[in-house]
Amino acid sequence: MTLSKLSLCNAKRQASDYLVYFITVVMAAGLLYSFNGLVFSQEVQKLSEGMNTLPLVIVLASIVVVWVFGWLVSYATGFMLSRRSRELGTYVLIGLTNRQVARLFFLENLAVGGAALALGLVLGGVLYQILRAILFAMFGLPYYFSLAFSVPAAGLTLFYFALIYLYALGKSRKRIRKMKIYDLIYFEKQNESIVIHKGKSRRWVFSVSIVLGVAGTVLLTLRDLTVGIIGAGCLIAALFGFFLSFASGVPAFFDKHPVQKYQGQNLLIFRTLAAKLSTMGMVMAIISMIFTATIITEGSGLVFQGLFRGRAAESSCFDLYVAFEGENRDQNPYLDYIAEHIPVEQSVLYQVYLTDSPTVRDYIESQTAYYYYNYDQDPILRWSDYAALRAIAGYPAVEPEPGKYSIHCMTYLEEPLRNYGQPVTLGSITLSPGGVYTEHFSQSYGMANGRGYILVVPDEAVDGLAVHHLAYAAKTAQPVLAEQYDALTDIAAEEYNRRENPLGYDFVSTKANEDAQVAVQTALLVFPLFYLALALTMTAATILTIQQLSETERYRRQFQLLQKLGMGRREMARALGRQFAIYYTMPAVPPVLIAAPFIFHLARTPEPGVMVGINSPSSIVAISLGIFFLIYAIYILLAYISLKRNVLPQ
Amino acid sequence: MLQVQNIEKYYGSKNNVTKALDRVSFDVEAGEFLAIMGASGSGKTTLLNCISTIDTISAGKILLDGVNVADLLESELAKFRRERLGFVFQDFNLLDTLTIEENIGLALSLNHQNPGAVQNRVREIAGKLGITDILTKFPYQVSGGQKQRAACARAMVAGQSLLLADEPTGALDSKASKNLLEMMSAMNRDMEATILMVTHDAYSASYAKRVLFLKDGRVFNELLRGERGRPVFYHEILDVLAALGGDVSDVI
Repeated sequence: MTLSKLSLCNAKRQASDYLVYFITVVMAAGLLYSFNGLVFSQEVQKLSEGMNTLPLVIVLASIVVVWVFGWLVSYATGFMLSRRSRELGTYVLIGLTNRQVARLFFLENLAVGGAALALGLVLGGVLYQILRAILFAMFGLPYYFSLAFSVPAAGLTLFYFALIYLYALGKSRKRIRKMKIYDLIYFEKQNESIVIHKGKSRRWVFSVSIVLGVAGTVLLTLRDLTVGIIGAGCLIAALFGFFLSFASGVPAFFDKHPVQKYQGQNLLIFRTLAAKLSTMGMVMAIISMIFTATIITEGSGLVFQGLFRGRAAESSCFDLYVAFEGENRDQNPYLDYIAEHIPVEQSVLYQVYLTDSPTVRDYIESQTAYYYYNYDQDPILRWSDYAALRAIAGYPAVEPEPGKYSIHCMTYLEEPLRNYGQPVTLGSITLSPGGVYTEHFSQSYGMANGRGYILVVPDEAVDGLAVHHLAYAAKTAQPVLAEQYDALTDIAAEEYNRRENPLGYDFVSTKANEDAQVAVQTALLVFPLFYLALALTMTAATILTIQQLSETERYRRQFQLLQKLGMGRREMARALGRQFAIYYTMPAVPPVLIAAPFIFHLARTPEPGVMVGINSPSSIVAISLGIFFLIYAIYILLAYISLKRNVLPQ
Repeated sequence: MLQVQNIEKYYGSKNNVTKALDRVSFDVEAGEFLAIMGASGSGKTTLLNCISTIDTISAGKILLDGVNVADLLESELAKFRRERLGFVFQDFNLLDTLTIEENIGLALSLNHQNPGAVQNRVREIAGKLGITDILTKFPYQVSGGQKQRAACARAMVAGQSLLLADEPTGALDSKASKNLLEMMSAMNRDMEATILMVTHDAYSASYAKRVLFLKDGRVFNELLRGERGRPVFYHEILDVLAALGGDVSDVI
């Protein structure tokens, strides 16, 4: 048998022994290829002007992802080397040189990497179509299938893979070449040793790590860069301290408490775990850090997405909207352009009035963290204008209430405003409270329909009130094109330059433009963050799984013996399940405790009214954790099924 | 205590049947020390596996304290094994992640005994078998002889009525073998343990009170030690083995 044939045989065996790892490498190739597809796709870059930066952003994210996968491959290769060193030592024993053995190992891993890359490119083709479909949906375009194999994307993927594998294999090649037969044969006996032996120092390290963990989490939420970096440092120290002291502390605890030790299946579970943990403290700490980074990355992605969507949803409720800054403005430059270029189905030109005193605003301020922008008094809208605006926005009509005022507000103000209950007096007319409505109504900017809220009153009640600004809203036959939006903003710039002492620009917004902005921002920021988060979760979960599955043979022997000693199959399955649950839960607990408060605080940073509903801070925390645990659960399930099938006696 | 009645065991498919046990019958009295001898492939490990309920028989009956083990359900079998049977294997079969004390305590723990009493019970039996000083050590830190003593302790700690030993001295040097066999004799004599030992070593078998010889799955002969001394019994065993035609390397 030639060396290359032997390598190929070994490669096949490796792919089946470490199936979870192999699948992850295939997924890695697929992910890299699909995102590289976006880098080289002209079609995607033409979606919007802002998408020009997408290739750069994706390449930057890919560099981090390549680094993460590089670590995974390097770790897994090193791990396999240690597990198979006796076999490699045997090759040396029967006369192969170290150089030949290193070559054997190198070729074998290259074959696995090559096969993973080939399969990954196929999977990547599918993933690319999914990414394309998501992007098209974000830009409101119909998806059509177009089968395309991108040679430059495949080339870049190959380049990344070469970097990942050459680094990992170079390292193990050096290790094999330097090793003596004795080292190779006894290499598997080497392991991470227990770092902290003494009970006193262990307790001390454990306590300090808990304090550092709490301090670090608090510092991270203080929204200051320097303080945040110090917080991150504290958390890293805390995780290492926690896992190193905890791993060696478990056996000490049970030695002191024999009753707990011999209770139920504790003895088996804790000893098996302790044996694994005592040699994995460092790895557990690193995995825990990766999980923390993953959840924070996912959470941040969701916060940004919520922010973009939340802001856009409020101002994209009208197909076309223009507000004119200042009093007695000439609207004709806009209206002439619109009449000539944009087919309009329904429109309204209206005024936003002001009350004499900010009674409602003062109330809101006393109830919430309200941020009132440029309204010194309460803004007012005539009922007929309000009804027209609702029709333009596509909302159901509401019946006018004679002698009453209604309030249209953002959802976060709904509760205090429903409880308001005070009458409003405008000149000689006093109005009692009526309905409260909360659809999106362009209320997040100063020059639209109020800031967060607006009062809607019978038409006759506005006589004699001051006008804050003039505005125009329209429902168009087709979405307003990007060129038409640009032309309107050009008019706004000309108007600004033409006027004496202008306070600001006129406000132009279109639904199409807002949606495109959200799509671009999401593609540029949220896509790369999720790309990174996926790579991180896959890497850490794979390492945990490799570690667990490598013990298959030992577990199998253990359960065979336990069967002879009279342990039932159900009890064995329960013990295995509990052991699994603890093993996989441990590295995930600190990340949840650290990341959840951080994401919660981050989601509270934007102005009120933006992060609501599905984007509310608690929802974002829940969704981030949900996404993380979903991917994690897939790995846990794969490992559990494989282990249960292979270790439990039939 | 144990009645083996006409048991048969076949392996293989329809066209290629191997008869591993052929109408084997014998009884074991409470407090007896019985050795089963035979060359490789004579069926002695199969017999032990059938008695220990790890394997099933094709025909016949095995009764332990009047209970037919074939009538037991899977869950009852597990309970039966942990409450009634103790095992000592050639390769010790201790769990390497557990200390010696925990390995012994595991048998009690599996029997759902009061966790508070486990440690004392383990120490008590360890004292009797002379392994108190290695209780806190892991299996890889102690000698083969000590591991086998620990295995004996595990096989008896939960009050099991029958100790099944499969080549217990197979992995031990001659001195450790002698110590172990003397200890097993003492367990039988002083603690009234019923022991069924499978071996192909005449020296080990000479410590038993009775020896059954298996050949090609059948009981070929039976020797009773009676009042004779061990060395005499040893030579008698060798004579029977010679008559059996076993390989000399198998019996020394």
